This record gives sequence, C-alpha cells and structure tokens, in this order.
Amino acid sequence: MHLFSPDRVNSLRWRLLAAICAVVLLIWLLTGWFSYTKAQHEAEELMDGSLAQTARLLLAITHDNEDDLAELVARLETVRGAEDNIYEPPLEFQIGLGDGSVVARSPDAPELPILGVADYNDIIRHDQAWRVLNAVSDDGRYRVQVAQSIGLRDQAALEVAVQTVLPLVLIVPVLILFIYLSIKRALRPLDLLAREVSTRSPDNLAALPGKRIPTEARPLVNAINRLFQRVDRTLDNERRFTADAAHELRTPLAALKVQTQVARLGGDSPVREHALQQIEAGVDRASRLVEQLLRLARLDPLSSPPSNLPVDLGRLVGETIASARAAQPQATQEIRQVVPETPSIVRGDADLLQIALRNLIDNALRYSPPDCRICIEIRQDGGAFVLDVRDDGPGVAPAILARLGERFFRGQPGSSEGNGLGLAIVARIAELHGARLQLENRPDGGFSVSLNGLHPAG
Amino acid sequence: MRILLAEDDALLGDGIRAGLMLAAYAVDWVRDGQMALHALADHSYDACILDLGLPGKDGLTVLAELRRRGDRTPVLVLTARDTREDKIAGLDHGADDYLTKPFDLGELQARMRALLRRAGGNAQPLLEHRGVSLDPASKRVSFNGQEVPLSGREYALLQALLSPPGHIRSRSQLEESLYSWGDETGSNTVEVYIHHLRKKFGADFIKTVRGLGYQLADEA
Repeated sequence: MHLFSPDRVNSLRWRLLAAICAVVLLIWLLTGWFSYTKAQHEAEELMDGSLAQTARLLLAITHDNEDDLAELVARLETVRGAEDNIYEPPLEFQIGLGDGSVVARSPDAPELPILGVADYNDIIRHDQAWRVLNAVSDDGRYRVQVAQSIGLRDQAALEVAVQTVLPLVLIVPVLILFIYLSIKRALRPLDLLAREVSTRSPDNLAALPGKRIPTEARPLVNAINRLFQRVDRTLDNERRFTADAAHELRTPLAALKVQTQVARLGGDSPVREHALQQIEAGVDRASRLVEQLLRLARLDPLSSPPSNLPVDLGRLVGETIASARAAQPQATQEIRQVVPETPSIVRGDADLLQIALRNLIDNALRYSPPDCRICIEIRQDGGAFVLDVRDDGPGVAPAILARLGERFFRGQPGSSEGNGLGLAIVARIAELHGARLQLENRPDGGFSVSLNGLHPAG
Repeated sequence: MRILLAEDDALLGDGIRAGLMLAAYAVDWVRDGQMALHALADHSYDACILDLGLPGKDGLTVLAELRRRGDRTPVLVLTARDTREDKIAGLDHGADDYLTKPFDLGELQARMRALLRRAGGNAQPLLEHRGVSLDPASKRVSFNGQEVPLSGREYALLQALLSPPGHIRSRSQLEESLYSWGDETGSNTVEVYIHHLRKKFGADFIKTVRGLGYQLADEA
C-alpha cells in the first residue's frame, strides 16, 4: 500500500499517527536545534574561560621569572597540547613588554602586534582564523597574547553539541513506535466492531453490543442500531405483505377449485347447486380482487391526480351514497349527510375521489352493526376540506386499527366480501391529492375515517 | 370419522366441508384459532384440517398450543405460504401433513385417509376384519369378496368400529363420528345403524358390551 493511498489518508489511525509524529518531530527538531546551538555557545565560553586563565597564568609566570625569561620561553615551548584531543588545542602565545616589543613567542603563534586592547578578538592572519586575547599585567610592565585556532575551537564546540543532541536522535524511533502502538490499541474497539458487523449474516439485525464501544464511536453505533431497527421493520412488513398477498390471492383460487370439484362430485343433489352458487360468488370476489389490484397498480406510479379540476364534494357525497345503497340493498344502517351551506369545491380527480368515498361508505355499511347510524360530513379546517365518514358503532380494536390501511390486511378476516385493499386504495388516493387518511376511534364512541387536507379550488 | 375444519375463508371452508361430507366424514367447521382450540378441547376428533392464516390465533399458535397440552389429533395444515421455511415451521410445530393452496380436493381426501390410517396404527390402505373389507379410497365395502352397498351413515359407523378393530366404542363416541354440529340426531339412531350392519355382516359381527358400548367380534 502506498504511503498516501486513499485508504491511508482516510484512516483515522494513519491520520492520528501522521499528525502526532509531525508535531513530535517539529518539537524535537526545535529542541535539538536549541540544544545544539546552546551547547556550542557554552563550549565556546568554556574555551574563552580557559584562554583567559592561560593568559593570566602566563602573566604571573612571566612576572615571577623576569630575570630568566629565555629559560621560561624554552620551557613554555614544550607545552604544545595533545594532537589527537580536540579539547586540548595547542597553546599559542606571545609575551612582550609594556611598550609592545615581543620578547618570547610559541613557534606557531600568529604574528600579531600585542599592543591591542585587553579583550577577545577574532582575527584572520595568513588564511587562518584565530581567537585572540590580549592581557596586560597589573603594573603594565608585561603584555601577553594567547590565541586559539578558531577551526579547532569550532570542532570542539561541534563535538560537544553533537554529544548533547545524540540521545535525542536515538529517542525518536522509540517515541514513534510507542505512539503507533498506543493509537493501534486505542482504536482496537473499532476493529472489533468492524469485524462484528462484517461477519454478520444478512438476516441478523440485532443491535450491536454497546459495551466496550468508545464514547466517540457511540453515536455511530447508535445510528447503525437505529438503521438496523428500521430495516428490520421494513423487512417484517415485506414478509407480512408477501404472506398476506399469498393468502389473499391463493385462498379464492383454492375455494374455486374445491367448490368446482364438489360440484362435479355432488351429482344432481342440492350439494351441487350450492357449490355452483359458491363458485359464482367466488368468481365475483376474485374479480373484485383483480379490479382492486389493477386500480392500485394504476395508482402506484402516479405522482399527482390524473385530472386536477374543481370537484363539488357535496354533490359527490350525494351521488356516492345513492350508488353504495343500490349496491348493498340489504344494508340497514341509516346514512346522514352533514354538508356546509356554501358549496365545497376542492381540486382533484372526481373519479378517484368518488372511488375513495365509495370504499369508505362500503366499509361503513359492511362492517358497522346493522342498527348503526353512519354520518358523512364535509367540513372546513384551516382552509382545507375534511371528508369524514363515521359511525356510532363499537369502534375498532387498537391492534387492528394500527394495521388498517396495510395492503391485504383485513380487519374482519373470513368475510367473503373484503380483500384488504379498499383502505389502501383510499390512502393512495388521499396521498395523490395531498391529503391524509386518518382512522380513529372517536372519543364519544364509534369509528371515524377521514380524508384531511383536501385543497379547495381557486 | 369426525373432522374439525379450521378455515376463516367462507367460500373455501364451505367447499372443503362439502367435499369431506361427500366422503362421508362428519365435519365441524370453525373460523378462528380460539374456536378451533375450544372445539379440540371439548370434542374428540379423528383429524383436524388447520388453515395457518387464521384470525385471532394463527394456525401455528393453535398447533403449538394443541401439542403442548398433549393432544395428538392428526393435523393437516393448509396454507397459502409455500416457502420451505414455512413448511418446516408447520411440520416442526407438530403438523402431520401439509397442503398448499390452491389444492386438489381429491388430494386432500387422499391425504386425510393416509393421515387417519397412520393414526389408527394401520399401514394397510384397506381396513379388514372377519371377511369384511373397507376401502377408504373408493368407499367400497365387501364381505367375503362380495361387494356390499352401504349408506353413508352405515359406512361411517363401520369405519369407526374398524379403526382399529377390537376397541370398545361408546354410543356417544359413535354418534360423534356420525354427525356434524347441527345435524339432526335421533335418540336411537346408532342402534338403528348397528342393526343394519348386523343384518349385512351377521348378527355376531358386532358385539354389545353392556354398559360400555359396541365392539367388533374377535377374528374367527
């Protein structure tokens, strides 16, 4: 893997490692540089100190041996320092009198006048750089000049500085290794989490274990768990839908087949006559089912009503009640209309709205007790229209209420009439009109189904 | 043979009941799971046809509850779900057989016969005793090789006594295997049909066990 491949650039571990290493290296470089220059500076001061001490020693010795200067010089010439020790450079000096005349000098000493100010000077003579110190005895009778080769001094200072910084250099790889291991260890729970998720079978949608998850990763894990829950619910609904659809589609076919065979076996008896009647009813029911399925299939791809014209809700209610009554003449419930005095004109598709209303009235007639009163009301609610179909029956059990409107769910299974698609169709029509299907048990008893939020025309 | 049919669909339930009654079974029909459990607790059935898509308590729950309380009534499960998982779940919950909708009435009847045969501890398709041979598939009865015509009730009574032969059946047990709920029953109808059978297969074919009921005579 390339050092800056996208995988690494996006890896938390590599980003952390890179950032921490960059900062550590920067601080380390600054520290090293500071130590280096500081060590160099201190080494120079030390050497300057030894230069000054040497100068004062020479002055003292000269003063004490003024009678025997020639012998002193001969002896001093033997003090040459060690060749291979850079901390002990050769001593170069000139000794003179107060008037500046030189009386003695080491063989390699630079030929400089010794009458300068008593202080340090850096001087270049014959291509060689020297650090020079002039000194005068207290009584002014003698002068001394000591010199060190700047090249040698620098070498010594460098050596000191390098020796100071060297441990720092050795620490760096250890430090980086330690950082790497710490990060790896800190991110281990994430690796475990990834393994837990990647080794799961697709149908295992149980929540991820919450323990040992780092605080920073917890929002992510919680989000994943919530997603799992949603997916699980969706899958559940899918499975339920498939099972319900299979039941609703296959049961009528099974009934037709069995009744047909009964009719054939039944000879001329009333059994045969009954079976034939049942077959007819079964075909009617299967036709209704196919009709409803086709209707839903046609509604599903739409995103708006096929026509969007003004529709008079009041007239629609009157017509639909009449046609529903005609289709179920045996229904005994009383139907009442509550309609505003001014016409209630909404925007939408008259045919679809009629289908929705008809389904609601059919349901009310089919599933409310025979002595019920059904009320169909149009009212205005904040500019939009509400179409409400309600009864004063016993209402619907909460468990059933929650699932009404699901495709193929039947509140009263077994009745040969419904197929569990009516309310789904109403809900879809409501949706197309920007309205909402609302199902509720009314607080004062009875069941209410309403289309809320039908847009007024104009 | 008395069978409980648990099916919520009005048309299908009606058809299966009619089909089974044509095959001379007594059929009780319930339309939800709770009713099925009550019926199975209150009566003794030779078999049960159970739809899995029942309202109230679904078929699998009914089946599990039934087996939990130790009821070994043979159960044939009807379902619209045809995935392998569904079939396995049905059988694992204690079903004895499985039929997917839509199905053939003839196959349903054949499976019922096989189920009843196995439940009676009998691998042979024919029920035979003292020269009387009953073929549940063709519903034909012969005596010493001669075919004997029987009415539906006579046939049902003979079948009840034959599965298995040797068991003593009380009058009410025999009555239960003859009549569905709601059938008109006379006070001495069982005696009437016993009398008919004795006339056809010999007076000593069916013994009266005083105070207990009826029993087929031992093999000669």
